[in-house]
Amino acid sequence: MLLPMFEFHEPLSIEEALELKKKLGQNARILAGGTDLLVHLKKKLVKTDNLISLSRIKALSLITEQKDSIFIGACATMAQISRSPVIAKKFTALKSGCDNLGNHLIRNRATIGGNACNASPAGDTLPALLIYDSVALLESYGKKREIPIADFFTGPGKSCIQPDEILTGFRLPIPTDHSGAHYIQLGKRKSSEINVVNVASFLEYDPGTKKVITTRIALGSVAATPIRAARAEAALLGQAPEEASFFAAAEMARREDCRPIDDFRGTAGYRQAMVGVLTKRTLATAYERAKGA
Amino acid sequence: MKKIISLTINDQSHEIAVEPNITLADMLRYELALTGTKKGCDTGDCGACTVIMDGDVVNSCLVLAIQANGSVIETIEGLSTDEGLSPLQEAFVEKGAIQCGFCSPGIIMSAKNLLDKNPNPTEDQIREGVSGNLCRCTGYQKIFEAIESQRS
Amino acid sequence: MKEFDIISTRAHRIDTPDKATGQAVFTDDITRPGMLYGALLQSPHAHARILSIDTSKAKALAGVKSVITHEQAGHIKYGVSPARYDETVFAIDKVRYIGDEIAAVAAVTLEIALAAVELIEVEYEILPAVFTLEEALKEGAPQLHETSPGNLCAEVHQEFGDVAAALKECDIIKTSTMKNKRQDGAFIEMQGCIAEFDNRGVLTLVSSTQVPHYVQRTVAMVLGMDVGMVRVKKPYVGAGFGIKAAANPMELACCILARETRKPVKMNFTRKQVFMYARARHQFSHTITTGAKKDGTLMAIKHECWLDGGAYTSFGIATVYYTGSLLGGPYKIANMSYDGYRVYNNKPTCGAQRGHGAVIARALFEQQVDMIAEEIGMDPMELRIKNMMDTGDTTCNDLNMSSFGMSECIEAVRKGSDWDKKKGNMPTGKGIGMACGFFVSGAGYPIYRSDTYHGTVIVKLTEDGGTALVYTASAEIGQGSDTAFAMIAAEALGIPLDHVRLASGDTDMGVDLGAYSSRQTLMTGHATKDAADHAKAQVLEVLAEQLSVPLKELDIKNGFITFAGDTPDFSALRTRYIKEHRGWIDNPDSEHLTFKEASRIAFLEKGSIVGTGKYKPHNLGGKFKGAAVGTSPAYGCSAQVAEVTVDMETGQVTIDSITDAHDCGKAINLTSVEGQMEGSVSMGIGEAMHEEVIFNDKGQVLNADLAEYKIVTSMDMPRIKAIVVESDEPNGPYGAKEVGEGAIMPTIPAILNAVYNAAGVRINELPLTPERVYFAIQDYKDRMAK
Repeated sequence: MLLPMFEFHEPLSIEEALELKKKLGQNARILAGGTDLLVHLKKKLVKTDNLISLSRIKALSLITEQKDSIFIGACATMAQISRSPVIAKKFTALKSGCDNLGNHLIRNRATIGGNACNASPAGDTLPALLIYDSVALLESYGKKREIPIADFFTGPGKSCIQPDEILTGFRLPIPTDHSGAHYIQLGKRKSSEINVVNVASFLEYDPGTKKVITTRIALGSVAATPIRAARAEAALLGQAPEEASFFAAAEMARREDCRPIDDFRGTAGYRQAMVGVLTKRTLATAYERAKGA
Repeated sequence: MKKIISLTINDQSHEIAVEPNITLADMLRYELALTGTKKGCDTGDCGACTVIMDGDVVNSCLVLAIQANGSVIETIEGLSTDEGLSPLQEAFVEKGAIQCGFCSPGIIMSAKNLLDKNPNPTEDQIREGVSGNLCRCTGYQKIFEAIESQRS
Repeated sequence: MKEFDIISTRAHRIDTPDKATGQAVFTDDITRPGMLYGALLQSPHAHARILSIDTSKAKALAGVKSVITHEQAGHIKYGVSPARYDETVFAIDKVRYIGDEIAAVAAVTLEIALAAVELIEVEYEILPAVFTLEEALKEGAPQLHETSPGNLCAEVHQEFGDVAAALKECDIIKTSTMKNKRQDGAFIEMQGCIAEFDNRGVLTLVSSTQVPHYVQRTVAMVLGMDVGMVRVKKPYVGAGFGIKAAANPMELACCILARETRKPVKMNFTRKQVFMYARARHQFSHTITTGAKKDGTLMAIKHECWLDGGAYTSFGIATVYYTGSLLGGPYKIANMSYDGYRVYNNKPTCGAQRGHGAVIARALFEQQVDMIAEEIGMDPMELRIKNMMDTGDTTCNDLNMSSFGMSECIEAVRKGSDWDKKKGNMPTGKGIGMACGFFVSGAGYPIYRSDTYHGTVIVKLTEDGGTALVYTASAEIGQGSDTAFAMIAAEALGIPLDHVRLASGDTDMGVDLGAYSSRQTLMTGHATKDAADHAKAQVLEVLAEQLSVPLKELDIKNGFITFAGDTPDFSALRTRYIKEHRGWIDNPDSEHLTFKEASRIAFLEKGSIVGTGKYKPHNLGGKFKGAAVGTSPAYGCSAQVAEVTVDMETGQVTIDSITDAHDCGKAINLTSVEGQMEGSVSMGIGEAMHEEVIFNDKGQVLNADLAEYKIVTSMDMPRIKAIVVESDEPNGPYGAKEVGEGAIMPTIPAILNAVYNAAGVRINELPLTPERVYFAIQDYKDRMAK
């Protein structure tokens, strides 16, 4: 299969990239890991005259720990994020999202920015980005803005990024003590899979009152974008972290929060049922981890 | 428009003019006649085109040649030594881990990269380490055995 | 039992060092000077009349060397079975599926060829299309072929014994249905080819094929050439599994483009085109009724099957017969009826794939055997052994089991899996199941009706140096056949394997029907042994004369001449040999006369020593219509135990282990035999668990890539315990028979039986996606609650 002809740009700094983006606008696509974009170009699903590769901009592949948050550059790869000690320790659900995306070859190229910008409802890192309350960092020429991840996705394959903007990375607040999270994805096989349903849950409890004081639940593949399960979260808040309340929250997620459709990967009915199962399971593991944290 | 890139392939430096839309896999195969790197899908689904790029295995069909500018690339052709097959390649022969052989160069590159990074992989790590390399012939069993035999 | 020196060992394969280093050459690795690149125009519509084709813009594009349509390709029909030729290289008046070939271009680059294809203008009149069995069979449905009213491609009606009468005598009768999904071969090397004419008009086609012989004949017939002017060569092939077992339209188009341009032309399928061409396992819809006595005696099978065939026949006529005939064993069943129907529709064509025709019938029937065992409270293994055919038995449809280690296989997996301890003692969600199966060791008859030898082999001894060259037209496609034949030749000649060189896959080397129906080990193996024996006899005849020793006292072993009696004085021969090798420092000085010396002396006396070998099966099978399909000189058989875990909440099934025992006759190469068993199991798991070609309502494949068509990855594959059970097959070379396909037969039903054991549900549709299993479990729970 041949790639169509395009001009290739390789800026060395964010500024240079933003200048290019400003100049070329809609007529350019950002190339990060290329694991989706190059496939789409080969299959003629996407057309462009210009590719702007971000891979030579060092700042975009950094993972840095700040006082109460971490920064993950948009071009950090799945493998790189997974190897990061702070992520392994504090962001287990994100690590497991990264570990489950595609396969070992894809994970060496695919980036978190690419995963977010593709905005697939089934994206493996997206539920984790949602439950860790990430902030997307966007830049355009001479301008920066920060978008809470919950507002980032606008539809299948669509995000709020403007044509002159580049996603530079994410800022994730470091989870507090007595919190834990978990991610489970369900597909037909165990590698190189596109999820049928994927769910991540975050939970913080008060060891004194033994009540859930924060919870965030994110559902993938069951709506036009990855979504937060607001009603399930509300149902769990203030409850004791135990099986009955996890089950009640899961039922809420299943009945009220998800809006799945039928496609060739699975039916809406099954997806909905699995939202219940995976929500319950992720909450239970999140709590186990919170106890250990 | 062609651009001259320089890169190291199997310890040899190359300067080569490439169109921006040429993949690393196509450059290796059709420009440099390094046909040991195979193409089984061209869309990053099969792993037959696996090469090591700057220390990590990648699908070379999903890397532009121009992106490999300045990189160090290892392909299957670089694995054998003056004495012949490398011990890992020998293990694949010895254990019967190769049938049609079309996926083998890619799998061997993944296995090499795995063992380079982790000389004592567990069974799960071995499975993970070749999870992007599809093999339709062997059922993977003898591939696992070959890699296991190379644990240090 | 005879002791062997070479066969029945774990000799390293002769092809794998080159495959491990990337040196092995596959079709797309080849570049020819001045080579052009070809590309196909394929139909975007599932069913349409072609009103006009305008190639003028394509021809005008700079760099385009030829644009061909049916006008250049001609209207000669071809296919797999001559009675069912229903394809032309390019569509003439209408297209019948998305992907039907309309035209081809050769140009100086692939980019230009693809651009030119886009410039070909075709005017279509869209016709209503049918995509399912039901639609195709409806009264007044659009018709695909004028010659096949009702879209019925083929039907088969057979009855052996008296099924109705036998069922009346039964205490237990089980009727159930099963449906699989269309498969894709998903070999990793996509089809590709290079065609080239020399200046004397000889066409050489290099192609990724399993069957150089059939491709040669088809190319010659379609291009109107003498078979002798067409040479088909197969370099290393990245597997085929049945899909590459016939000439494809790209090969034919490539030859025509080479003829038009007088330049070498290379063409490749993209992965999407592999899916569009298809030719893999059909979708089968089976209904089987099995009757048994309460003591467990199986009495009768009533079997009906509908095959979703796609747009053309391909292997379909053989498929629809195989589907019925291979239920005749491995159990003693005197009464069997079969009604099979293959239906055309506007989807890509199905063909043959590993376990041709028989896999899903087996998957359903082996579950019914378990149902019967459960109902009478008998261990499923016991019930199977009770009904098992014995060596020498013939099925009701005339298939003779000349060797049959099926019961031994059952015992091997019983022990190997710890069945007796596990069966009945597993917690909910964990299950164990077993099944049996068997398969032909080579189709008893060629695809075209002929008295041809199925394989010919030449063994030529080098004029100097004691090396044997084996020339065979057989097809190494990954299964290890080159190594098997080299081993057989070495064994027969009595020389080390290192002294055998082998060349294969070239129609100039003889006739060989190729790699399908698990035929090569037995058939080409026979011809190889025959040729090696012939060469050896010539060497020994010379020696007998030169040394004045009776011929029958002479033999060759491990590269040395052996004498039954006293070793005669052979110093004259040695001196003669050494004289011709002045300057050599490694001249023979052993106490024994070497094969190297002997073969040199033989050459000096007789000229080149060439042994020829050939094989065709004896007359096989009954006299009824379709009796040929399913016949074979021998049958390989398998038993498997699967252990699974079912997640009762999500429906996810994990296969924890497979224990597999296969009777392959005498194993030529034990490692290769295990490799075939493990590979078969992995393909069976893929089909059972997640493989299916999915179409939209326009007849377009939705998952035409290896991301969405889900074959087994390294993460899905359970550990397999492969147990080789050896029998002595009287019709096989050194007692050998098949392993490549029989080993897939029990995999799917063993998994289904294990899932039933784990979760209490029988699932009558593949694949076992989590969703399908989940809903089956929910349904079961609902039924239990009522």
